[in-house]
Amino acid sequence: MNAVGTQERRVVVSGLGFITSIGNDCARVTHNLREQRSGIERFEFLPGHALPVTVAGTIKDFDTSGAQWASWRWPAPYVIPKDILRGLPPHGIHAFCAMEQAILDARLSPAEVGSEETGLFCASAGSPRLLRLSLNQIHASNGERVPPMTAVSTIAGTLNFNLSAHYGVRGAVAGFSSACASTTQALGYGFDEIRLGRQRRVFVVGGEDLGLDSIYGFHGMRALSRNPDPARASRPFDRDRDGFVGTGGAAVILLEEAETAARRGAPCYAEMLGWGQASDGFSPALSAPDGRGLVSAMRNALSFSGVTAAEIDYVNAHATSTPAGDASEAVALRTVFTAAGAHPSVSSTKGLTGHGLSLAGVMETGFCALALSSGFIPGTANLEHPDPACDGLTLPRTSVDRAPRLILKNSSGFGGTNVSIVLRRPER
Amino acid sequence: MTFGSMKYLLHVHQITIYLGVFSLIEAKQKAAVTLAGFPPEVVDQYIAFAADGDPIRLDSVVLGVLQFHLPHPPSQPLSAMTGSTRLLEDLGCDSLAMIDMLFVAEEIFGVRLTDDELARVTTLDDLLAHFRRHVVPGVPGV
Repeated sequence: MNAVGTQERRVVVSGLGFITSIGNDCARVTHNLREQRSGIERFEFLPGHALPVTVAGTIKDFDTSGAQWASWRWPAPYVIPKDILRGLPPHGIHAFCAMEQAILDARLSPAEVGSEETGLFCASAGSPRLLRLSLNQIHASNGERVPPMTAVSTIAGTLNFNLSAHYGVRGAVAGFSSACASTTQALGYGFDEIRLGRQRRVFVVGGEDLGLDSIYGFHGMRALSRNPDPARASRPFDRDRDGFVGTGGAAVILLEEAETAARRGAPCYAEMLGWGQASDGFSPALSAPDGRGLVSAMRNALSFSGVTAAEIDYVNAHATSTPAGDASEAVALRTVFTAAGAHPSVSSTKGLTGHGLSLAGVMETGFCALALSSGFIPGTANLEHPDPACDGLTLPRTSVDRAPRLILKNSSGFGGTNVSIVLRRPER
Repeated sequence: MTFGSMKYLLHVHQITIYLGVFSLIEAKQKAAVTLAGFPPEVVDQYIAFAADGDPIRLDSVVLGVLQFHLPHPPSQPLSAMTGSTRLLEDLGCDSLAMIDMLFVAEEIFGVRLTDDELARVTTLDDLLAHFRRHVVPGVPGV
């Protein structure tokens, strides 16, 4: 690979995998994105107790609600060997299945996956639920019973530990912990690894364990929607939004050097042109009201990619449906686009899925890849009365039957970390 | 379970108790929680053992729990293998699988096994003998 210069090396999305609230494969996700079919439904965070948060973006056809892996269930086509199963967190089941999809989609052989030319970048919050159950067992037994895989299955690196070992990945393996910007940042660094000739391909995996232990803590800062209506609770950019709706599951994107993917006959959903990042330097939890970090991140991504704001057809926003976060992003978008006379369509697919925390970036970038390859622009579900902060932005409420050529995707996380990436429609 | 409630169960339900001190009711509760997701035949054998104390059933449960935890499926059911089959070398039962298996077995039989005892268990025969020593019929149904 070193014979090719950094600038000539192109990076494409050559494999996708989804276990999400709106579908468990590419076809179903594409259909539900285009038709605006929501994955959000009523959800009991603490059965038997009337909590103020009652909806979530749930994963269908899987059951990982039990305390032990022995009781977890997944659809028949997937075979999960015991030697990996015993160390997985609940959402590791979703990540494993999404990996299987992406590998099959990309037509990769086991030897190609298990090679020094393949990297694996992951993010998740680990499994606070499994950690709680393990710690309860340790305390209840006065330290006599320590479940042996507690650390491997519960801490933030659990997906990279398990997946790299199972698939024999021997290239760069790393975990990212920039909260909701994690997997978008992982895509950025994965892009760099390929452009620099260090890896031929990098899997980027995000996953979260939907449940009280992972999600309900956000209620403490009143960041979760208390709207009990699944059809209206997640409403990014709406004047009446009152917080985000949690979701879990997993998504996988395979980034790959374009010639390598083409030689294998792998699909090309999108070309990643570049990325940018910048931080607010403002608050550990709140976005800067003027969107300063996100403005810089978007400008860095556009500049690196050699694209102007006016050329962007669609922005997949981070907008989670929180009052402060969406307003900050709207200000940033107006600064970068509206002020420059550019009017891309802007939407947040979280109206359909809910917010997947560190999963969100890779899941939504996957949505963008599907939009580019299938020729449509997703709308923002449940948007009835746009926030005045969005004045000047083009906010489609339903899918637009128009093929975008260039997409910019935003993610923002705790600590004011902001990441933007630019994707281009594949050449036919 | 407190001693008082055990006594109550003994009088009311005419059950058999074992050294591990568990009742049929407890066994069903433990099966629902601790054996959730296990093969039905393991659960059935466990409930039956709680009812009649047949040591052959005890062997079946121990082998079933061990087989369920093996990292890779054995070439044939453990019940069809000879007692000299080695846990690590022949079955690939690593320390993680062994500890997971013992946690489940301890929970459902209400016994505790020490690390020193565990270190001496190397074959299927060792394992079965070990559980037969610890989980034996105590006071029969009153």
